[in-house]
Amino acid sequence: MEKTTLISLEKLNQLRLSDEQRESVLAFFDAQQSRRAELERIDTENVERMVHVMPIMTVVREDVEKKLFTREELQKGAPETVDGYWQVPRLVD
Amino acid sequence: MKYETVIGLEVHIELATESKIFCSCSAKFGGEQNDHVCPACCGMPGMLPIVNKHVVDLGMTAGMMLNCHINRTTTFDKKSYYYPDLPCSYQTTQLFAPVAVNGLVDIETSQGKKQIRIKQIHMEEDAGKLVHDDWSDTSLVDFNRTSVPLIEIVSQPDLHSAEEVIAYLERLRSLLRFARVSDCRMEQGSMRCDVNLSVRPEGSNVLGVRTEMKNMNSLSAIERAIEYETARHIDAIENGTEELVQETRRWDDLKGKSFSMRTKENAGDYRYFPDPNIMPVVIDDEWFDSIKATLPELPEVKKARYMGELGLNEYDAQQLCDSRALCDCFEQAYAVCGNAKEAANYLISDCMNMLNKAGLTADQLTLSGAGLGKLIKLVTEGTVSRPNAKKILAALFEQDVDPETYAKDNGYIVSNDTDLLKTVVKAVVASDPKTVADYKAGKEKVLMALFGRCMKELKGNCDPQTLREVLIEEVMKA
Repeated sequence: MEKTTLISLEKLNQLRLSDEQRESVLAFFDAQQSRRAELERIDTENVERMVHVMPIMTVVREDVEKKLFTREELQKGAPETVDGYWQVPRLVD
Repeated sequence: MKYETVIGLEVHIELATESKIFCSCSAKFGGEQNDHVCPACCGMPGMLPIVNKHVVDLGMTAGMMLNCHINRTTTFDKKSYYYPDLPCSYQTTQLFAPVAVNGLVDIETSQGKKQIRIKQIHMEEDAGKLVHDDWSDTSLVDFNRTSVPLIEIVSQPDLHSAEEVIAYLERLRSLLRFARVSDCRMEQGSMRCDVNLSVRPEGSNVLGVRTEMKNMNSLSAIERAIEYETARHIDAIENGTEELVQETRRWDDLKGKSFSMRTKENAGDYRYFPDPNIMPVVIDDEWFDSIKATLPELPEVKKARYMGELGLNEYDAQQLCDSRALCDCFEQAYAVCGNAKEAANYLISDCMNMLNKAGLTADQLTLSGAGLGKLIKLVTEGTVSRPNAKKILAALFEQDVDPETYAKDNGYIVSNDTDLLKTVVKAVVASDPKTVADYKAGKEKVLMALFGRCMKELKGNCDPQTLREVLIEEVMKA
């Protein structure tokens, strides 16, 4: 991995690494990438994609609307609310 | 040099479900802020998602309507991004095994017929809504829309003009409304479109720099945005007015311009990974077949049948086929009365007027088709006059009443009492000698005034033809 890619990932993950930490992370990713390259050499043609390690499937629920909580209950732990909204620091896109 | 515009669309469709995709909160549009929320859709720690089966039903339905392959094992993935309208800091969506892939949609433009390839349809949750409060210099968060179910329909870059894009979107809207996947109301945001556009020299097979305009929600704005963006790209290529970069842009319809929002993210930036909280959704044969059995006849097939088998003209057939609710009501009414033209007329004129007055769309019609059929039978048999049929229809529109019972209870059954008819006609004729004289002098149109007064006296309960005959007879005698 390039250092610039790592810096971009730091930004996305809201992290700030020291140069020393960066070197350690880059070495870790390099090792992972060579393992991945090894795996990619395996011929997986005609092998069904594994979606889960266990032969398991999700349960689904019927489409029935239920109101289980009031707004007031949900906002009890909110630092700030205004007119039923959660209030957060201003965001500029 | 001549250029070709290359456009791919990502269309978000809000699904017609009662509850959200991963919790039981209401998925209805609107409501008081944060009234349709629970710990799961607010992203509170420890809450786990449970998939709404109907979302998968509708995802499959959309896939089948757009001729896609349905992945019988479909999985959910997490797409990471930080923004306060997304309380989990990730969106649960589908990347690795979306519900439907490799579809085809037929469109028709002034250039002829064409097929647009669908790359995939995936199910996902919507984000919440942010309101920026200038007064307190803060942002306010409403999670009502968070986790409302969506499908995203991703096309291949097969579109080359605004006209093709509009034809494609209209076709999607028609098919998905017909299959009751969504109401596709752009003004309410239940159909939104991201336009990916690039420009290249005609004949080249290398794609140019791509820009994306997000969340477009009106066909006319999309058309204007495509025309503007195409011109901007060509200007940049030919005249070097600016450097084109891959980015997300915002379309300002009032200014008629697009503005840079942010550098376009790549899939890697979202750090997708399989959602460990949701096991694979496995669609067995029984489930698959049950959805296939509910697919509606396509609008154009219905239209051809209405014209060929039922003898409707093209205009009437098209009007009906614009809405599945109109078609269903029409077919139920026709099954009862056997009179396609009458059923179409009542629906296209009277019912549409009533819907417009009530501020409803054709898809919101709840009129009983069987009731309408019975009413048409009463009219064609001469049991109820046409003016009174309109009053009965208005009642039928409001509530599910039996037309015959309602007609009897309200005195709308045509009277066969010829003595009463003659008495009324004689009285009207005697009261207006001037109009009688005008008619006798050759002004035939004035007869309608007398006819109307007689009808009013009889409260509409007479056969118009009989009334006309008796009226002419009495006028000539006078």
